[in-house]
Amino acid sequence: MITEFLKMGGYGIYVWSSFFIVITSCAFLFYKTRKTLKKYEKEFAKELEKLPAEHKKRIAKSSKVISSILASQNKLS
Amino acid sequence: MEFFSFGNIIIYIDKFIKFINSIFFVILIIGISFALIISPVDYLQGDSVRIMYVHVPSAWIGLSIFSLIAVSTILNFIFKIKNLFLFIKSFAPIGLLFTCLSIVTGSIWGKPTWGTWWAWDARLTSMLVLMLFYVLFILSLKYFKNNENLTKILSIISILGIINIPIIKYSVEWWSTLHQPASIKFLGTSSIHPSMLIPLFLMLLVLLLYCALIFLMKYKTEIIKIKKQNIKRL
Repeated sequence: MITEFLKMGGYGIYVWSSFFIVITSCAFLFYKTRKTLKKYEKEFAKELEKLPAEHKKRIAKSSKVISSILASQNKLS
Repeated sequence: MEFFSFGNIIIYIDKFIKFINSIFFVILIIGISFALIISPVDYLQGDSVRIMYVHVPSAWIGLSIFSLIAVSTILNFIFKIKNLFLFIKSFAPIGLLFTCLSIVTGSIWGKPTWGTWWAWDARLTSMLVLMLFYVLFILSLKYFKNNENLTKILSIISILGIINIPIIKYSVEWWSTLHQPASIKFLGTSSIHPSMLIPLFLMLLVLLLYCALIFLMKYKTEIIKIKKQNIKRL
C-alpha cells in the first residue's frame, strides 16, 4: 500500500519532486531570512551595549523597537 | 499616523509572527494530507494532477505580489512613503521565489501531461518574462544606492511589468497554447470539483501564511537596519 502511494500511479517522480522542490526552497528562504533577522538583532543589541547604562535604560523605555529587540535577545541568551 | 510608527508596527509584527508560528504546522499538515492523500485522482491526468496543489497557488502568489509591489512602487514614486519602500523591499524576494516555483513545478507537470518540459508558448513565456522583471527589480534594489534614481528605475520596471500581468492572465485565451484555460473563475462558475477545490485553497492558505511570515521577518529586519543607522541619534 505504501509502495502504491509512493508510486502515485507511475507519476511519483513528478509529484514528489514538485513537492520536494517547493518545501525545500521555502525552508531555505525561511532559514536565510531568520538568520539575517537574528544577525541584525544581535548587532543592534551589541551597539546598544556600547551606550552608557543610563542612556540605554532611557531609550529602552522610550523606544518600542529597542525594547522589542532587547526582549528577543534576552530570550535567545 | 502614530499607529504606523515603527514602534507600533514592530509590536504587531511580533504578535503576528507568534500567531502564524502557532498555527502554521497544523494547517500545513492538513493541506498536504488533502493534496497528497484525500483529494481524488483526475480521470485523465491521474495522480500527476496533485502537482496543481503547489503549482497553481505559487503562480497566483507570484502574480499577486508583482501587482502589489508594482502599484506600491508607483504610489511611493508619487507620495514618497518610507513604509511603502520597506514593504516593496520585503515582498520582492518572496514574489520571485513563487514565480520560479510556478515555472519549475509547471515544467515538471508538463512532462507527463504534454510530453515536454518546456515550450515557448504564450503562458510559459510570459511567466518567464515576469520572472525576469522580478530579477531586474531585485538587482535594482541591491545595486542602486541613490534613492531618487532607484525610485525612478523601480517605477519604470513596475509600469513595464504590470503590462505583462494581463498578458499572462489572458494568454491562454488570446493565443493557442499548450497550457489549459483557467478552471477557476472568481466571477463565474468554476469547472473544478469541490473535492479538488478544497485542497487547492488549503494549500493556497498554507503558502499565504508562509509569505506573511517571511514578509514580517524581512520587514522587521529592514526596520532594525534603519534604527541601527540612527542609533547615535537616539
